[in-house]
Amino acid sequence: MSHDDSHSTNGEKEKRPTGAAIGSAFKEDSLDTFSDLGLVYRMWTYMRPYRWLFLVCLLLLPLISAVSLVQPWLLQIAIDDYIVPESLDGMWIILAVYAGTVVGHSILMYAQQYLMKYAGHQALRDLRQQLFSHVQDLSSSFFKQTPIGRLMTRLTTDVESLEEALSSGIITMVGDLITLSAIVVILLVKDWRLALASFTVVPILLLVTLVVRHFLRKAYRATRVKIARLYAHLQESITGMEVIQLFVRENVSRDEYRDINSEYRDANIRSIRWDAILYAIIEAVGSITIGVILWYASGPTLQGAVTLGVLVAFIEYMQKFFVPIRDLAEKYNLLQSAMASSERIFQLLDTKDQIPQSDNPKTLPDRPFEIEFRDVHFGYNEDEQVLKGLNFTIHPCERVALVGHTGAGKSTVINLLTRLYDVDEGQILINGEDIRQFELRQLRRQFAIVLQDVFLFQGTMLENLTLGDESVSLQQVQRATEMVYADRFINELPGKFDFEIAERGGNLSSGEKQLIAFARALILQPEILVLDEATANVDTDTEALIQKAIEKLLEHQTSLVIAHRLSTIQRADRILVLDDGRLIEEGTHEELLEFGGHYSKLYRLQYATSSGEDGTLDNAVQARG
Amino acid sequence: MSTSPENLVTDEDFTLDPAVRRRRLWHYFRPYRGLFLAGAFFLLLTNLMAFSIPFYLGEGIEFLRDGLSEEGLNLDAIRSDVIGVAIVIIALAIGAGIARVFSRITIFNGGRYIEFDIRNALYTHLARLTPRFYGSIPTGDLTSRVTNDVTHVRVLYALTYLHIINTLIAYSIALYRMAGVDLYLTLVCLAPYPFLLLAIRKVIRALFLQTKVVQSRLSDLSTRVQENLSGIDVIKSYVLEEREIETYGESNDIFFEENVKLAKIRAMLHALIILIASTGTLIVLVVGSHRVVNGPMTLGSFVEFNGYVVALVFPTIALGWVFAIWHRGLAAFERVSELLEHTPALDEPHNDPTPLPDPSPQRDVGEISVKKISFSYDDKTQALDDISLHIPAGSTVAIVGKTGAGKSTLVKLIARLYDPDEGQICIDGVPLEEIRLRTLRAEIGFVPQEPFLFSMTIGQNIRFGIDSLAYDPTLDKCPPDSPLLSTAGEESAPVSQDERIDEAVEIAALQGDIDGFQDGLDTLVGERGVTLSGGQKQRVTIARALLVDPRVLILDDALASIDTHTERRILDQLKVIMRGRTSILLTHRFNALTEVDKIFVIEQGRLVEQGTHDELMERGGAYADMYHRQKLREQFDE
Repeated sequence: MSHDDSHSTNGEKEKRPTGAAIGSAFKEDSLDTFSDLGLVYRMWTYMRPYRWLFLVCLLLLPLISAVSLVQPWLLQIAIDDYIVPESLDGMWIILAVYAGTVVGHSILMYAQQYLMKYAGHQALRDLRQQLFSHVQDLSSSFFKQTPIGRLMTRLTTDVESLEEALSSGIITMVGDLITLSAIVVILLVKDWRLALASFTVVPILLLVTLVVRHFLRKAYRATRVKIARLYAHLQESITGMEVIQLFVRENVSRDEYRDINSEYRDANIRSIRWDAILYAIIEAVGSITIGVILWYASGPTLQGAVTLGVLVAFIEYMQKFFVPIRDLAEKYNLLQSAMASSERIFQLLDTKDQIPQSDNPKTLPDRPFEIEFRDVHFGYNEDEQVLKGLNFTIHPCERVALVGHTGAGKSTVINLLTRLYDVDEGQILINGEDIRQFELRQLRRQFAIVLQDVFLFQGTMLENLTLGDESVSLQQVQRATEMVYADRFINELPGKFDFEIAERGGNLSSGEKQLIAFARALILQPEILVLDEATANVDTDTEALIQKAIEKLLEHQTSLVIAHRLSTIQRADRILVLDDGRLIEEGTHEELLEFGGHYSKLYRLQYATSSGEDGTLDNAVQARG
Repeated sequence: MSTSPENLVTDEDFTLDPAVRRRRLWHYFRPYRGLFLAGAFFLLLTNLMAFSIPFYLGEGIEFLRDGLSEEGLNLDAIRSDVIGVAIVIIALAIGAGIARVFSRITIFNGGRYIEFDIRNALYTHLARLTPRFYGSIPTGDLTSRVTNDVTHVRVLYALTYLHIINTLIAYSIALYRMAGVDLYLTLVCLAPYPFLLLAIRKVIRALFLQTKVVQSRLSDLSTRVQENLSGIDVIKSYVLEEREIETYGESNDIFFEENVKLAKIRAMLHALIILIASTGTLIVLVVGSHRVVNGPMTLGSFVEFNGYVVALVFPTIALGWVFAIWHRGLAAFERVSELLEHTPALDEPHNDPTPLPDPSPQRDVGEISVKKISFSYDDKTQALDDISLHIPAGSTVAIVGKTGAGKSTLVKLIARLYDPDEGQICIDGVPLEEIRLRTLRAEIGFVPQEPFLFSMTIGQNIRFGIDSLAYDPTLDKCPPDSPLLSTAGEESAPVSQDERIDEAVEIAALQGDIDGFQDGLDTLVGERGVTLSGGQKQRVTIARALLVDPRVLILDDALASIDTHTERRILDQLKVIMRGRTSILLTHRFNALTEVDKIFVIEQGRLVEQGTHDELMERGGAYADMYHRQKLREQFDE
């Protein structure tokens, strides 16, 4: 490799950093097995609604074969009955029919191709939709265990591979088979000896093709692996270019890239070789057959057993014979990858990892709500308990603050309350009734959750505030934004409530996003407000605004706050101090300070060390952790 | 993100001067012109042989016809003549096949070599482009240029070359032979071809455009899925599933409709190919049969002629493709060469670069003087406005100010990620632009605000900088071998890199985290490996920066995700490690500032105050104000 030479001058500097290059965490998924017939049947369930369209397509296939295969026969008649006898009277009928078959073939082909894809894409649209809906119902623990990348592949790449199989005309494999068998029958009927002679080439062709194709497939697979690595390296280099440059690593990265690139090139060059051979074989075999037919036909023709027209027709038929053979092999590969994809898709669809729903859910009890955690145990995985017997109650209209260092289980409390996860042991009760008895979505609608990471989607400001609920009036929205001081910045945005928010709110500051989340929570008018205070760096003015907004938000409201701000904590009716999955102290700010326990230690540490702009308790809390 | 069909028009606009474009295309083609020339030769060979076959077929038919029509000939002799013709045909077919293999191998390999060169050139160039460039181009656009567009360019070189040469040769030979058989029939036969060619060109163009539309709709759909999956917990909490399913359904429907349009065009293409394939034979049949009966043609030449017409079907269809590939390839080439021609915003020194003075026990290094610099990212708002400051060699300073005041910008200018619009920055007395860019960067340890790690192992990430120093001969710095926590002034014995790494891990408080991973330092960072927490990532980036023994260490708010206790410990050790060299701290937390040598306060791109903590407090200016406001609010909260 060329770059190695340039380094030979410097003895010390020739060792490439060991191990994997950038982007080397690339790996492929493995597969379990499903029965092929089962897969076909599952696919059929999606095609069923459009079965009449598919039926029409299938019926068109023999018709297409027929118009195409009648042409050599017409040529034969023209030669034997008109051209050789040198009398063209009445030949116009043959010509007219021939012209008719050309036009007919075109039109039928158009209709068949179009209808098939029309039907197929409908089926795939339904599949996509079902897949997406299904994923929405899967439990949070499923999402925790499954990398998003893998799910993305199921919902995108795998469905695409079905799409590719469809647009390459997998269904026309049936047509190919019809054409092939029709040619075999026609030739056998016309002259079985000549037919057998013509077909001698076929087994040899098949064998050679299979061998070459085997190598070609291996070579292709290698190129796919290499290009995935190449692109992974490139993508990561682009994203991390500043770091690469700051650590003067450009040349290392360049040489890594060049190595992968040359591996990719060489893999391609290998596949080009097999591809060229395969292509040439397929091209040559038609011409070889011409020679073979001429050879075998010479005797019978001269004896008058085979006419010249039949000879020409044989040549034409054999040319038509190789086209579907070539396509079949290609389509078979696509079919296989489509099968593999559909297998993965159906596996996902069969995943029934959902939060269990009660068969006849109870209606929620009368408001106001009192919430109780009763001896709750919970862990995200079996060997690691996050909550270890947690007990507390939130009374109606009470403002409760949760305090504790990272990992104490604060976020888990929210996840359990909204039943993203179910408790392992113990119970969560609303007015004395287990929350698992209620309808899941009904339950979740009682809460408004404001998380640190504000969820915003592509759409207008208004849509993001109302979460798409059209029954909310503009006045309500305006009032809510005013109350949490979000109106000021919204009014400065172009289009105000019609302002288009970018993907994940990319065109808003983190403080603005917080205020939007507050307004949204007000609009929802929940029974219980759950707030996970953000600790993002915002400037002092915004910070002051957010504090005032939180105060408004929590007025006359049953609320549970994972608190980081001193002000929020101090104004809580009750502070719950969590440590290691248990409640260790509870009371008001003053009571807890007086108690002189865990909380007061946290507080003093904060007071002693914090001179940060945002005045969070977090620093102090984390200092302990 | 989404590309509407209207935007695709940009594909049609060529901005490059054709002569310049030709020159650039030639530049990549030149090294492999021998390969391509050989390819053309093999194409000529294969076509010469392939187009002889119809001639021999016609001959064979004529022999047979003679044998049938004339009495008393020696049938055995005729038969062996025909068999001889058959053998020639088989031999020609095989010969043509072999030549075809070589034509494709040479030309396609040539394409891959060109692709290889372009990819390398692109990467090398990308590594020279500055953050200003990366900020100006959407990542999606950049990615598609370096991936899809390069592929299109390769196809432009290889496939269009192959098809154009092949079609040219095929048509020349076929026309020559056809005209030799029957000029009149040739002209009649070719009459519809211009129209068919035009039609197929149109359909294929439509196909390409619609394919792009479908692809962009597909990427919309993927974006929706991505957005949904990454926010799935929030969606569930807010009971937004129905709404999500509905909006996904809308995108799904649009995707379906565009697919149906594509299906229509594809079906049209199929129909058209059938027309092209059969029209020639139909005309030969209609007109040729008269020519045979009326005299000028024989049955053999009738069959021969049809053979040529059939052999022209594929080159004709291929020509239709070529137009589309050509167009797409040129547009892609322009986008790629636009990247390659983009001049990096930072100049290397014109004269001999000035070396930086070596550190010695007697001489502290890392002195930075910033003289009257102004800077703007977009020419509209000033990020830095006439700032001057001096950081003495071997000191530890802090830069404070609100978010957006310009702190990060200032240190990025010191690391020369950008050049100031006005003014000058010197390091150890040498203006930045007189130092080789990479020499400068090798002397700066930068810990960015957003910790960026590569999907390698944790160890490889920590060694990221020193590995390059060890490998790259163009760098005049070698990996340092003194222990990080060596005592000042004394020559300490060299230690191995592994020992230094262990030290760095210890200093960055990473030991506990790494012990927790099964593979320790060899644990992969990334989607399938371990995803590190924000604090862990920051500590890895600190270790990464310390190991290169920088003359200037910059911590750009780099301790934000680290708890105060660890922060204190790291800062204390930094003083020892960075003894005799300079550290610059950007922070929102004031607790670290009492012990730094100097604090610079920046407001809206201007330096408003400087001094030690005590001096600034005494002065009662902006710093004291920020500090007091903080305290006030705390009191108010009580």
